[in-house]
Amino acid sequence: MYNSSNQPLINLAWHHPHTGQRRMMSAALPVTIGRAADNSIPLDSKFVSAHHVRLEERQGEVFVIDMGSRNSVRLNNNDVSDESVVFHGDQLQIGPFTFSLEIPENSSVLAGPATQLLPTSQIQRVAKMTAHAAVTPVLPHQQPLIRDTGTADFPPAIFRKKIVPVDMLTRIVGEQIEETSYLAIGGGLGSFVWVDHLMVYGVKRQDIVSIGFEPKPYGRYRRLCRNSQIPDHERLRSNSDSCPDNLWGWPGYAVREIWDNTSHGRLGQAARIGWQIFNEPLVQTYTPKAGVVFDSIDQEAARIGWDKIWRHGRVRAVRKTDDGRYVVAYSLIKPDGSTEHKLILAQFVHLAVGYPGVRFLSDLQEYREKTGDFHHVVNAYEKHDEVYDHLEQYGGTVLIRGRGIVASRIIQRIQEARERSGRDIRIIHLMRSPNTEGQKAGLAQRAVDNHWEFQPFNWPKAAWGGDLRKKLENANTKTRAELLDQWGGTTTADRLDWRDMVREGLTAGWYSIYFGTVLDVRPHKKTGQIATKVMQNHGEVALAVADYIVDATGLEAGIEGNALLKDLVTHYDLPRNGKGRLKVTNDFALIDMDNGRGQIYASGISTLGGPFAAVDSFLGLQYAALRSVDNLTAQNAPGLRRLNGLRSLNQWTRWARGVQP
Amino acid sequence: MTPTLRGRWQSRLFLMGTLGFLVTIFFMIVFGSIAPFYLLVLVTVLGFFWDIVYTLIQKWRWDHDWPPAFQLGAGIWEMIVLAALVYGADIIGMAPRPDQFLLHYSAVWLAVFAGSQSLMRLVFPRWRYNGGQWLS
Repeated sequence: MYNSSNQPLINLAWHHPHTGQRRMMSAALPVTIGRAADNSIPLDSKFVSAHHVRLEERQGEVFVIDMGSRNSVRLNNNDVSDESVVFHGDQLQIGPFTFSLEIPENSSVLAGPATQLLPTSQIQRVAKMTAHAAVTPVLPHQQPLIRDTGTADFPPAIFRKKIVPVDMLTRIVGEQIEETSYLAIGGGLGSFVWVDHLMVYGVKRQDIVSIGFEPKPYGRYRRLCRNSQIPDHERLRSNSDSCPDNLWGWPGYAVREIWDNTSHGRLGQAARIGWQIFNEPLVQTYTPKAGVVFDSIDQEAARIGWDKIWRHGRVRAVRKTDDGRYVVAYSLIKPDGSTEHKLILAQFVHLAVGYPGVRFLSDLQEYREKTGDFHHVVNAYEKHDEVYDHLEQYGGTVLIRGRGIVASRIIQRIQEARERSGRDIRIIHLMRSPNTEGQKAGLAQRAVDNHWEFQPFNWPKAAWGGDLRKKLENANTKTRAELLDQWGGTTTADRLDWRDMVREGLTAGWYSIYFGTVLDVRPHKKTGQIATKVMQNHGEVALAVADYIVDATGLEAGIEGNALLKDLVTHYDLPRNGKGRLKVTNDFALIDMDNGRGQIYASGISTLGGPFAAVDSFLGLQYAALRSVDNLTAQNAPGLRRLNGLRSLNQWTRWARGVQP
Repeated sequence: MTPTLRGRWQSRLFLMGTLGFLVTIFFMIVFGSIAPFYLLVLVTVLGFFWDIVYTLIQKWRWDHDWPPAFQLGAGIWEMIVLAALVYGADIIGMAPRPDQFLLHYSAVWLAVFAGSQSLMRLVFPRWRYNGGQWLS
């Protein structure tokens, strides 16, 4: 079900509020709805804003975006602030209109990486969901709690309360509500690492539930890697001992790679890695291959029985209960793609929901919205392989914005395309200002080469486990934000091949750097390309004309983009940290969300600005997990025993033997 | 490795007292001398001073880290100073044979280096986040 230009489709059905007439429409995404005539679906009602919502596809998921309308947007009776993911079967309310959303079979919207592994015949109604079910055929046993009639109030109205009385809830539902000790919301790497820690500390698998979109904990991470041109055989920007599969960080990926090479008789390669890890970061820092990390997570997932812990679903809301726990409303996604509304009670909750989405520079966002051209102006984290295919076939010019690690990899990918095809492919790298002097902090300073600034990882290493980690932890909210600004910033890894590539490109002329501020981006009338008008730093206006623009400035990290976090923060009026994210204790417990014995913890990017800098790294997830599980152990939470000395050593030998914790 | 001063001291004390001590007992038996023990104590005590210097050097590095190559360099440097004290100043009053000194010193260094890369992490899971502190 594609249209001629292969765009993903969505079906909408609604009744006219006055005439009762039923309307149906099948449209290619993006779809806009509003009162104005230029919308894909114009609605005649004073309760509908001129441009009310927009439905678009991002990385295999469909989002509904509130276009800043004065009137509210509601999804399944929940207010949507800014934006939210939508699912097949969701009800979207705009003014007096209620739209039933259908995401048709084989829609490219849902073609995630897992889908591609399956023959097309297996891809049924909702391709991605079916594919997940095919990978994990057995879903945990569950009693249906609330019939999903499609119009039912969900989460139930009782969720409007700050404290939900459990007795009343049970009466409304009419059945016993499922209970668990530990609930990990997100189901991605953050949840996986937390669950792994719980189990190594002694918690039994049956006392843990995790809810998320992807059956593989690294599913979304791998998709972002692949989109940003890091396939499984390329190396990540991650430390050897940052191992999501191993609590201790030993043996790290370098030692494992040495071992693997040695056992296959590749002694030279083994020695080369040994030499590299010994000399790092003096020559070049060792980083593991993406595929090796994913394989190691698969092994650990099998060891802890992740498939019995994970449930395919989307969490809608979390509320405190009157018995010192939390009630969580979620949509369970069943193997056939239909959803079922469910409730679960949990004593301890962990929130790791990842980056809400892709962030565009505002001028590029505007261009995409105005022209509807989503193929020539792309984000590095979107799937955009066709850009390189086209370049290899016809040559062309790419304009790159941003100068971080993703920009480095994109340039390298274009260089590969140049070499492979022999075509005339050029890169215009647009930077806001020259960079000749690296950031300073205390006595130290970062290195700079050709306006690229380097550090091995995105924070100084001592912020991960040395004096800078302590310094940040001991600082107050304001100082934390300042320290993060000082240590962070846009940097790339000091890889020799990248430095050479930039130098060679500058000399040969296929890579050029321009400095200035973008005035506007519009289609170039003469050539049909894209023209970026730039106010250069010496005051002259220049026109940069390119076939493609790649926005390599990053991912959206604010918590507003995530409907669940936004709801939680608004409902309980939670405090924010100096970076506007969730305020957590040094043990990563959400401030003001404790409830009697109950506690909610968080990890990942939604805690940036708190006690730890590298929260969105593998090691950061491990650190947050260790701190929160230590904190739980100190509170005598069920099943946990202090991990140290012999117990730790014993658990490690179980890991090494591949025996369950 | 991104050790802090307290972490360095604690790790040095632990590793010298365990792995370093085991290696030293072995050499005391093999050499039939108590000299290796005195050397172990001396190198540990001197180390507390060196650790202050190393921590200052770290501040000059952007990452405030201590690469493995620096660990080796520090080991060689400490050996030179130790040899000067043992053979030049006769500080322990019983200078061992130079080949025995070299063998013992290298074995202790290797054991401590390997232990700092592996054993510490396994026995003390928080060690790597705490700049090498195993006591809180």
